[in-house]
Amino acid sequence: YPLFQLGGPQLRIFRPNFFMLAVRPGVPQPEDTVQFRVSMEMTKVDIKNYLEKIYNVPVAAVRTRIQYGANNKRNHKNQRVKKPDYKVAYVQLGQGQTFQFPNLFPEKEQDTETRSFDDFKNKYMEREKQRQKGDPRRGGVPDWFGL
Amino acid sequence: MAASRGRRLLWQGRCWFSQTESAVPPQPPDSLYPPIVASATAKSKAAKRRRLEHFHQRVHAAASIEEKLRLYGQLQRPKYMVYPQTFALNADRWYRSFTKTVFVPGLPPRAAPAAVKALGAVAPEAAKAPVLAAGVEPEAAEAPESGTAAPGAAKTPEPSAGAAPYLDMGELRSLACDALLQESFYQNKKRPFLYRDQEHTPGPFLTQLVSTLAAFLCGRNPLLAASSLDLKPEVHYYWHHGEEVVVHGHRKGRVDPVRFQIDDKPHLQIRVPKQLPEIVPLESDLGDVPVIDHKPSKLPLFKKQYENKVFIGSKIADPCCYGHTQFHLIPDKLKRERFIRANLEDQIEVTYRANGIASLFAWTAAQAMYQGFWNEADVTRPFVSQAVVTDGKYFAFFCYQLNTLALTVETIQNNPRKNICWGTDSKPLYDVVENGSVKGFNDEVLLQLVRFLLNRPKEL
Repeated sequence: YPLFQLGGPQLRIFRPNFFMLAVRPGVPQPEDTVQFRVSMEMTKVDIKNYLEKIYNVPVAAVRTRIQYGANNKRNHKNQRVKKPDYKVAYVQLGQGQTFQFPNLFPEKEQDTETRSFDDFKNKYMEREKQRQKGDPRRGGVPDWFGL
Repeated sequence: MAASRGRRLLWQGRCWFSQTESAVPPQPPDSLYPPIVASATAKSKAAKRRRLEHFHQRVHAAASIEEKLRLYGQLQRPKYMVYPQTFALNADRWYRSFTKTVFVPGLPPRAAPAAVKALGAVAPEAAKAPVLAAGVEPEAAEAPESGTAAPGAAKTPEPSAGAAPYLDMGELRSLACDALLQESFYQNKKRPFLYRDQEHTPGPFLTQLVSTLAAFLCGRNPLLAASSLDLKPEVHYYWHHGEEVVVHGHRKGRVDPVRFQIDDKPHLQIRVPKQLPEIVPLESDLGDVPVIDHKPSKLPLFKKQYENKVFIGSKIADPCCYGHTQFHLIPDKLKRERFIRANLEDQIEVTYRANGIASLFAWTAAQAMYQGFWNEADVTRPFVSQAVVTDGKYFAFFCYQLNTLALTVETIQNNPRKNICWGTDSKPLYDVVENGSVKGFNDEVLLQLVRFLLNRPKEL
């Protein structure tokens, strides 16, 4: 950004090109803290204004850090492959609000017997096994034995 | 032979189950052989426990208090720096969980309230020593923290009212207004530098006010006459609370106690040679301590490794080794206007409370350590101190009773005692200063301040 001097024009961004991604925290965070991955150019003030003006979320405090992406992996040419760096923002919500990251992949309820894929698979496997065993009237004797 | 064979079998048995506590075999008490205990140098939990025992015995058997403090803070490791004046949100809840403190809003009830006569601004002085909860008279319960300063309030019969001298509110008010006007109106001062507002006017005003009030009230409170007023003293305290697993480094995976250090610089401090009386009995339970199972670094709180210092403001040999009152000045970064501009009005009181709790805990705990108590040798009598947190205009009063120092994982388990902190909200002393006069002076705040200064043990 151009540096702001006292009396100079204020930089107003009307349609920002920033994106903020809410992520599940790796370590447990307090109830009022939300963790975001933001663009590397965003500042704490930017994040606060972004959430308050666009999403009407009251923000009490913002803390940021830059996560260095490792450069240890090697590709098939033995060149080092870098994982990209990203900025993480810890936003503390105001007015006593709390946030818990939702469980995006809950366990699904089992449907009725005839419609589930697992039961189809089990039934098919049973049928295959029966066919392999052969006719039960021959008492376990293979079918190539005989006249 | 049979005895040695038996012992050898026991030794083999202990090799297999080396993690359990070694059971002393039933030997005659005056045996020729030394007792069989766990090794002190092995890499085992029993050996670690034995080394800890050795350390505790060394501290218990230390020759002097300086030696005890030196051994207590000998091992330096990264520790959390706890700042009493902090911008962190909801810091007072976190600080209460670190120090096992119960916060009770309002000040503790005194023995007899300061009743005001209907005519004039003369108030008789109340008996200053607060009584134990068991012996509180019924009329004492109705005294609110700001005192019954309303004229026409029912005058409670004072048993020794005839002997107690009168407190001249007019003179006290004129003292306070003089100090305020001198600093803010009469004295020609240049504009304060950026972020140095607080040390420009409210700082000197507070110093002047406290010194003149203390000098004025010396006659009424002999404890003040023997006290020591420190300007910008330092208070340090180091303690362990809770446990955590070391995350990275060569000690990764080990279970360590969580270490904290408070380094506080109150604006003013009054230290006295005799201790203030206890407010409630040692084992009283006035509320709950908040339990926070997140790491302290989420507050945010940061770690550093430096000297583990325990200091009350003077060295151990000083006769004034007990604390009376501290005065804290809120810095410029935590002023009311900044919080209001950031839409954080509820955090204003949080800063006052966090400052009161943390500073007073550090001070009372350091006083207890100066008397030889530590987390293995818990306090046998409660340590009481008071504090006034102000930003020049708004005053908040705090009272702290330290009932326990045992906050480590082993000692906290069977310890039902909790530390207690009483505190008020911040109230303005005056509304505005203009044209050489103070508008809207609040007598109750001044009366509360005077009561704090007049607090003394029952014998005096």
